[in-house]
Amino acid sequence: MFKRSMRRCCLLIAAMALISGCWSSKEIEDLSMYAGLALDVGDPTPLERELERKGATYDKKNQITATIQIVPAHSSSSNQGDSSTKGKVPEFLNTTETGDSLFEIMRTYSTRRERAVIGHHLKTIVVSNRLLQKRGIDSIMDFVLRDNDIRPSCVVFVTEGRALDTFAKNASGTVPAQQLRDFLRNRFRTNRIMEGVNLTRLDALMRTRQSFVLQNVVAAKGELELSGAGVIKGASGKWIGSLSQTDVESISWIRGDGGGGAIKTYDWRGEPIVYEIESMKSKQKAKITGDDISFHVEIKSEGRFIENWDIREDPSKPKYMEKAEQLFEERLNAMLREFMRKIQTQYKVEVAGFGESLRIQSPKTWKKVKDRWDEVFSEVPVTFDIDLHITDFGSSTK
Amino acid sequence: MFLRKDDKITTTQAAIFLTDTVLGAGILTLPRSVLEAAETPDVWLSVLLGGAIILLLMLVMVKLSQRFPGKTVYEYSRSIVGTIPGAFLCLLLILYFIIVGGFEIRVLAEVAMLYLLEGTPIWAILIPFIWTGAYLACGGINSIARVFQIVFPISLFFLILSYAMSIRVFEPNHLRPLLGGGVMPVIQGLKSTILVFTGCEVIMVLIAHMQHPERAVKAVFAGIGIPIMLYLFTIVMVIGGMSVDAVLRSTWPTIDLLRSFEVTGLFFERLEFPFLVIWMMQMFCNFTSFYFSASLGVSQIFRIRFGPVLFALMPVIFISAMIPKRINDVFQLGGAIGYIGIFFFALLPALLSAIYWIRKKGLRQDV
Repeated sequence: MFKRSMRRCCLLIAAMALISGCWSSKEIEDLSMYAGLALDVGDPTPLERELERKGATYDKKNQITATIQIVPAHSSSSNQGDSSTKGKVPEFLNTTETGDSLFEIMRTYSTRRERAVIGHHLKTIVVSNRLLQKRGIDSIMDFVLRDNDIRPSCVVFVTEGRALDTFAKNASGTVPAQQLRDFLRNRFRTNRIMEGVNLTRLDALMRTRQSFVLQNVVAAKGELELSGAGVIKGASGKWIGSLSQTDVESISWIRGDGGGGAIKTYDWRGEPIVYEIESMKSKQKAKITGDDISFHVEIKSEGRFIENWDIREDPSKPKYMEKAEQLFEERLNAMLREFMRKIQTQYKVEVAGFGESLRIQSPKTWKKVKDRWDEVFSEVPVTFDIDLHITDFGSSTK
Repeated sequence: MFLRKDDKITTTQAAIFLTDTVLGAGILTLPRSVLEAAETPDVWLSVLLGGAIILLLMLVMVKLSQRFPGKTVYEYSRSIVGTIPGAFLCLLLILYFIIVGGFEIRVLAEVAMLYLLEGTPIWAILIPFIWTGAYLACGGINSIARVFQIVFPISLFFLILSYAMSIRVFEPNHLRPLLGGGVMPVIQGLKSTILVFTGCEVIMVLIAHMQHPERAVKAVFAGIGIPIMLYLFTIVMVIGGMSVDAVLRSTWPTIDLLRSFEVTGLFFERLEFPFLVIWMMQMFCNFTSFYFSASLGVSQIFRIRFGPVLFALMPVIFISAMIPKRINDVFQLGGAIGYIGIFFFALLPALLSAIYWIRKKGLRQDV
């Protein structure tokens, strides 16, 4: 009897070994999560310079400056909690380090912050165009793609200017890194916002070695705006130029993937009239005759006549509608022409998805041209067939 | 306590047993391995074709096993080719099961160490799995089948849920064009798709334990049909969600697919964690099945009691899981297992069937 209860006791004690919990657990309070990562050309900040002067340095070349945006920045233990925003807890904390290995930089943060940084919640990566001019995107992004904490769901942006400026404090008190990611939700409102390129998508784009575009961010006085796109040349992975907001709209028209937006043009008296996009569809048809490739793009859209500054016109008249439709079509056509000129003659890259259409429609031709697609495309004739249809004039007849 | 004579399983249990044996690490490794064999989005056709071939091969195994009611391959191979050659063939089969079992838990440990339990030593992940597997196998095939019956619907639900959520990144264009490179790549893809069905050899052990061995064909159709569908689903969702190029650049494509998006508003924002945790149970079932089959083999060939064999195999499985030194070796081993698997899929049953047939028809010997 005694022996049995002894055995039971031993068994219970042995079982305690199993309830000791997770071996690898780390308290979340002891870690700092970063929501954003900004990458610049190696240029130590004044603070870093001073630290370095006092001996805080290691063996490195200053190739890259990485800023992480830590959220939330606990003001209680953070010595950076500035008293200027009285009573208001700073929402985030930026830390900048310079070096030549992103991973080493990540580890160096541990010598400057009491809580180790962890990449699970990285949402946004902003890369400066100057860094992308110096090094290909493959090498810059290698660490974030390889790291097992950083999720491939985070979105990549480019900026002309310093990337760390996009992470500056702003009036609204929101975290810029999260704000940037949330901007992408507004795609249903305007086709000037491109579909976010997450790391998985970027990985695929880099492997194909085709050129592509990344959404551009502009920062001023702590405010951010998504504006246009940076063009990355596939062969080198380097930034070669930028596209305007209108060009981004053109891409969405050609791909037919925009969720909303407007076309503004001027009528015969020079007054603005505006078309609200309700739907857009496009078909890219590749025509191959011998070795010659050409594209025909059919664009169909339905929308609303939403704004009219010309008080002498009556938009509810069918005749006016037809005339307006034509004006909008002309405007769209001009936009597309300008965009085609830019990519075919100025940059000589193909970033509007024609390559993908060719790959699907004629895999054999694609195989032949894919390695020099940018050059081939610059000679390819592209025709457009635009059909805009105004369905209604809103809640005012005048 | 060990292996009662009346330890039988129903047809449904046999089907689930088979499904759980086939479905394991393949879900995590298939998309990339198949794309490496043939760089085309059409590889989902290879999965279907591969599945069909496996089904045919399995019918041979079933027909052979049905001639020897109540006997496993370890027992009847002896009466077909003689004691020594039979034992030799079966030892090969056992070795194969041990290697596959070790491989499955090694993959599990690799993924867990990368994404879930960074810092936990590998033995701390492997050993509990082997212990628990041994505990389950102690109860005989009936308890194993029952655990499989409980685990399978849960893991299936989470797998489907995870894939359904990945619809938000699904892009049909990634799967187009259909047959853009012709039929040849689809055939090339077979190399890797046949391999993911490793484990279906257990049917030669399983039939002996079936309550109604005559319904084995039904069990095979269900037990292989489900993995075929799930592998097909995996390929379509992973390639559709990531594109061929991204899959080829990803070490664990299925996990990366789930890491490519966040579901706001759902209880889980990041699906890779629940998926991995649940899929661990599935891999555990998978491993136990191989462990059980190997132990049963040793016990039947050498006529030793099942229990001691189970414990004796523990270190062997652990060592076999630890043999690959780095991740490259793990993937290489995965490929090698596939090729060895072909021998057991195709050659072993065919060989045994042929010899059996010759002896029966030709020599009219009593076998």
